[in-house]
Amino acid sequence: MTGASITCTDLTIRFPVYGADAKSLKKALARAVNVGGVLGRHAGVTDVTALSNVNLRLGAGDRLGLIGHNGSGKTTLLRALSGAYEPDEGTIEVQGRIASLLDLGLGIDPSATGYDNIRLRGRIAGLSSREIDERMDEIADFTGLGPFLAMPVKTYSAGMQGRLAFAAATAVECDVLLMDEWIAVGDADFQKVAHKRLLKLVERAGILVLATHEAPLLKLYCNKVMKLEGGVASEVVDIRRLDELLKT
Amino acid sequence: MQTATHMLRTGQRGALFQLQMAQRDLRNSFGRIGLAWSLATHDVKSRYRGSVLGPFWITLSMGLMVLGIGILYASLFNIPLAQFLPYVALGIVFFGVMTGVINEGCEAFVLASGILSQTNLPMLTFVWRTVFRNLINLAHHMVIVVAMLTLYGYWGKADIPLAILGVLLMLMNVSWASLLAGIASARYRDVPQIVVSIMQFAIFMTPVFWLPDRFGKHQVFLDYNPFYHLLHAVRGPMLGQPVSGLTYTVLIAMALVGWTLAFLIFARTRRRLVHYL
Repeated sequence: MTGASITCTDLTIRFPVYGADAKSLKKALARAVNVGGVLGRHAGVTDVTALSNVNLRLGAGDRLGLIGHNGSGKTTLLRALSGAYEPDEGTIEVQGRIASLLDLGLGIDPSATGYDNIRLRGRIAGLSSREIDERMDEIADFTGLGPFLAMPVKTYSAGMQGRLAFAAATAVECDVLLMDEWIAVGDADFQKVAHKRLLKLVERAGILVLATHEAPLLKLYCNKVMKLEGGVASEVVDIRRLDELLKT
Repeated sequence: MQTATHMLRTGQRGALFQLQMAQRDLRNSFGRIGLAWSLATHDVKSRYRGSVLGPFWITLSMGLMVLGIGILYASLFNIPLAQFLPYVALGIVFFGVMTGVINEGCEAFVLASGILSQTNLPMLTFVWRTVFRNLINLAHHMVIVVAMLTLYGYWGKADIPLAILGVLLMLMNVSWASLLAGIASARYRDVPQIVVSIMQFAIFMTPVFWLPDRFGKHQVFLDYNPFYHLLHAVRGPMLGQPVSGLTYTVLIAMALVGWTLAFLIFARTRRRLVHYL
């Protein structure tokens, strides 16, 4: 099989952040009419450079841990890898099928049942309705939610939602799995099965990119680690040098 | 499996590149048109979950509105019920499609922000989802249309193929308006209210509840009203009324100009849309 790969060269992502004023058309029109008024033309819009000149090269079997403070660009990098954010400068190339577990809410309709949500997520991930029906038993089994699957998702606890999302997202054979923080959801039992499934992915020469603050998780899943600071990335280093990276 | 197996994305490369990316979005959205359909059926199912009649609730309330307005206005204006009731019924049902697609277009991207911010799904999928959802609702409301045509014996006069052409022209036009409404509403959060007001104004300015033949020399009010042409192209053939060449010219021209404009704006804002949300 052809291995998965991720290549980013000089990746820079900037995006505007809109304040409440900048989100109002009426206020924008008022500003446009009132040329040279007190308010600046771009009132409330701040350009943020979320990532600057990130270089990254990952190959089959790599499990990268992303560390860094809140707002350091971890999630932006994951979103860029998922294809949601496009680069302003530089390039991103991802080979392989991507599954992203960045937000539990993806395709989750709180008023729909667990089964319906699995179906919805599966369709978004690219499965056909028939493929979903074929896998439904296996996915349902993996969630371990049993009879709760017939109930609306809004009645679930956060842990149960996490199980559902993880089971549905990894039901698609993916080569690249992007995960943000929340892998720690679910109880010890679920952690064990989730762990097995992640290892299987890595065995299939997949790539895992995981953003987390927890050193034990990093040591458990990752073989490489990268630190982001204000959108600037450190070198990708071996997981054994995690402590060095945490200190700097 | 339709999942992306290879992606190559590069940074800003000017307007032409943006246009190509927008075309790719369009191609991909058609390539996965089944996804838009699945999302739309899910929307309808989940909106009416637990209710006995499902979307027929809306059909029921629409039917009552048709009866109320039909009977009241027919007696106010002294028009025979047999002529006026089917006219109002078709007017309300098909104007409802236009309002539905355009008003719901406002939230097409906003409601999908969770999906759009972590996948590379085509944006236009969410416009098609809005269109499909309204088509599913229309399929339910067709009960009213069929009942009216049967009750007042219009089947002999009705030109169904021409009416279907009218529906297609209507969809081609409201879909670009829906896309524009979606982009504008993602960027400016007060746009949905404005769109709703415009559509409300439009329903009163358009001959939905009243007959256009009272205009006389003020015909210009009709000729310059795009909603009149949109509605007439569907309702006219069903009621056996002639549809003028002007109507088709307006609809085709509007679809071409509208889609060109909407697509250019989409190409320009596509990359930024996800950040607006």
